[in-house]
Amino acid sequence: MIILGMLLVLVIAAGLWFFSTYNSLIALKVRVDNAWSQIDVQLKRRYDLIPNLVEAVKGYMQHEKDTLERVIKARTQAIDASGIKDKAQAENFLTQTLRSLFAVVERYPDIKANQNVLKLQEELTSTENKISFARQYYNDEVSRFNTSIATVPANVVANASGFTPKEFFEIEDNAQKEAPQVKF
Amino acid sequence: MPFSFIDIEQKKTRIIGYLFVFVFVFYFITAYLILLVLENTAFPALSDNPFYGFRIPPLEHTLGALAIAMIAGFLHWSMSTSHLIERICLGVGAAPIDPKDAYHQYLRNIVDEVSVAIGGRPLEAVVIPSVSMNAFAIEDFGGRAVIGVTEGLLARLSRAQIEAVVGHEAGHIISGDCLSTTVTCALAEIYDESFSKLGGVLKRTRGRGVAVLVLIYIIIGFMRFMSSFIRYFISRQREYRADAVGVRLTRDPLSLAEALELISRGWRGQGAMGERMQSIFIVNPTLSELDETEGFFSDMFSTHPPVKHRIAILADMAHLDAKTLEENLKNFKRVAPIAKPEFKVDEAVSATEWSVFIKQEWLGPFSPSELIKLEGFKPDVWVRGKGADVTRHAYEVGPLLDLFRSGQDHGPQAGLNCPNCHTLLSEYSYEGVSLLKCTYCEGVFVEQDKINRIFVRRDMDFGEDVQRLARALMESRAKNALPGKIDPKNAWVLDCPRCHSQFKDSFKMRRQFFVYSYPVEIDRCTRCDGIWLDKNELELLQYIFEHKEQFFDGKSF
Repeated sequence: MIILGMLLVLVIAAGLWFFSTYNSLIALKVRVDNAWSQIDVQLKRRYDLIPNLVEAVKGYMQHEKDTLERVIKARTQAIDASGIKDKAQAENFLTQTLRSLFAVVERYPDIKANQNVLKLQEELTSTENKISFARQYYNDEVSRFNTSIATVPANVVANASGFTPKEFFEIEDNAQKEAPQVKF
Repeated sequence: MPFSFIDIEQKKTRIIGYLFVFVFVFYFITAYLILLVLENTAFPALSDNPFYGFRIPPLEHTLGALAIAMIAGFLHWSMSTSHLIERICLGVGAAPIDPKDAYHQYLRNIVDEVSVAIGGRPLEAVVIPSVSMNAFAIEDFGGRAVIGVTEGLLARLSRAQIEAVVGHEAGHIISGDCLSTTVTCALAEIYDESFSKLGGVLKRTRGRGVAVLVLIYIIIGFMRFMSSFIRYFISRQREYRADAVGVRLTRDPLSLAEALELISRGWRGQGAMGERMQSIFIVNPTLSELDETEGFFSDMFSTHPPVKHRIAILADMAHLDAKTLEENLKNFKRVAPIAKPEFKVDEAVSATEWSVFIKQEWLGPFSPSELIKLEGFKPDVWVRGKGADVTRHAYEVGPLLDLFRSGQDHGPQAGLNCPNCHTLLSEYSYEGVSLLKCTYCEGVFVEQDKINRIFVRRDMDFGEDVQRLARALMESRAKNALPGKIDPKNAWVLDCPRCHSQFKDSFKMRRQFFVYSYPVEIDRCTRCDGIWLDKNELELLQYIFEHKEQFFDGKSF
C-alpha cells in the first residue's frame, strides 16, 4: 500500500515536471518565432524602400544602369526566396548590391546634395541596422532554444514531444568575415 | 548572457520595497524629532519629567507621529510616482522629438534600431535642448521606457557612437535597474520642485503669512537636504553593467569607449539639468572628485564609477589601450548627416505692365514675367502701374504679391508672412532644423529653442563675407565695453509672423542684441519668443558662437 502510494506520488511528480518543462520549452519556441517575425517586418520595410531609392537616384545615374538593375534583381530574388537558408542567402546578396550602390552614390556630389536621397539613404541604413539587430536577437533566442532542448534532462521532454533544433539566420558576408572580429 | 526576466522582476520589486520602507522610516524619524522638540520647548508646562526637564514623548504621541509619518510617506510616494516620466522630463528639461528635424529623425531611427535589438520592446526618444553632452534613460511602473539625449551629443557624436550610448541606456532598461533609479530620482525631485516653488511664493508674500511660510520653507529645505541621501540607494555598479549590456546589444565596445571619452571631455550639463537627477545620466553631469576614485567611501556615496575605468574596460574589449583611443580621438569631427542647404526661386506669370524703381532709377515698364526675371526685383521695391501715378511697394499690389507668392514652394507651415516683404515664408532646412525663410530678403524666422540646435551643429561652411563681418563686429565689440544702442525709432518695427497669423492683428517685435556678448541685432517677439533674423545674421551668430574661443580669447563664456 505504502509502496503504491509512493509510486503514485512519483508518477505525479514526474508528470508535473514533464509538463512544466514542456511549457517552458514552448515559451522559448514562441520567443524564437516572435524574433523571426521581427526580422520579417524589417525585411519587408527594406523591400518597400528600395524602389523609392532607385527612383530617386535614377535621374543622376545614367551610366550606372547595371548597378541599379542588379539591386532591383536582388530585391526580387529576396522577395521570392523561401526557407530560412535561401532567404539568408538572398538577403546577403541584396545587402551587397545595396552596398555597392551606396559606394557609387558617393562618387556623385549632385546626389549627395539631394535631401530626399539622403533621407532615403538614412532610412535604408537604419533598416539595415535593424535587420542585423533583429538577426542578432533571433540567433540569441535560437541558441537558447537549441541549448535547452539538447541539455539533460529537458532533452527527454524535447525528444518525446518532437522538438527539433531551429535554424540560425546566418550571414555569409565576406567583408564581415574578413574584418578583425571583436571577441567577448 | 540570456538573463532571466523573472530574476529581474523580483529584484526590481525588492528594491522598490526597500525604497518605500526607507521613505516611511525617514518620515517617522523626522516626525519623531519634531515631536521631541515640540514637547520640550513649546509645551514645557506639560512636562512632568524629573530628568532635567527633558521629556520623552508618551506612547500615544509617538503613535500619532507614526500615523503622520505614514500619511506623509504615502502622500510623498504617490505624488512622486504619478506621471513619473512627465515629471522627470520636466525636471531635466527634455522635450519630445521634433518630427521635422533631420537630426531628431536620426535619433528616432537609432532608438528604433536598439528597440529591435532588445527584442522589439518599444522605446521613446526625447531630446534635451542643451548644448552639453549627456544621455539618460527612465522607466515607469507601466513599463513605458524613455531614452533621452542632449542636442550637444546628437550633434557631436557619430552615428555609431550615438548608437552605443543609446545601447547603454537600453542596457539600464533591460537589466531592470532603470525603474528603481527613476523612482529614486522622482522621490528626491519633489522637494527640489516644492522648494523652488515656495521660494517664489515667499518673495511675493507680505505680512503675517511670511512667518508660517518661512517655517515651511526651512522644513522643506531640511527635507530636501535629507532626501539627497536617497540617491545613495543607487549602486554605481549599475553603470558597468549597463556598459556591458550595451556592448552586448550593439557589439561595438569601441564606439561606446569613444563616446564616453568625448562626453567626459566636454561640458556634461552641470547646472543646466536637475541636480538630483544625476543618477539617470550616463555620465554624472556634476563633476565630482568622488566619482573618479575607488574604495569603500566612494562606492557608498557616488552615483557613477570612474569614467577612466569604464573607458579602459571598453577599450580593452576592443583590443585597444586608453592612450591610443585618446590619440585617435584628438581630431574627431563627425560627418554631416544632412545635405547642405540649397534655395531656388521659381518663375511665375501674369498680365499688365509695371515700372519699377531699382538702383535709384525707374526701369520699364515690364510685364510681370519680365519683372520676375529682373535682377533686384524684390517685394519691397517701389513700383508704378503703367499710366497710373501712384507709387507703391511691390508687396502692396495684389497681383505682384501673388506673383511673388505663386512661385513659392511652401510647406504645411504656410500662412506666415515675411515681416519685410509680406510674401509667404517657406519652410527651409538649415542644418537639419526646420525654420521659415523668406525667398526674397532671405531673412529667417526661428524659435528660441531651435537656435541652440543650430549653434551646436557644425554642418555649415561660412562664406568669406560672413567671416569678415564677424571679425569686424567682434573687434569693435572688444574696443567698446558695451555695444552701441539701438535707435528707439527702429526698436519696434517688424510684425511677428507667427503672432500676426495666429491672432490676426499686428504684434511688433522688439529689436535688440542677441545677447550683449554677441552684438548681432535681431528682432524678438515678446509674445511667442520667436526671432527674426535678416539675411546672413543667423550665419553670423553661428560663426561667432562656433569660434567663440577665438573671439573671447579664453575668457569664460
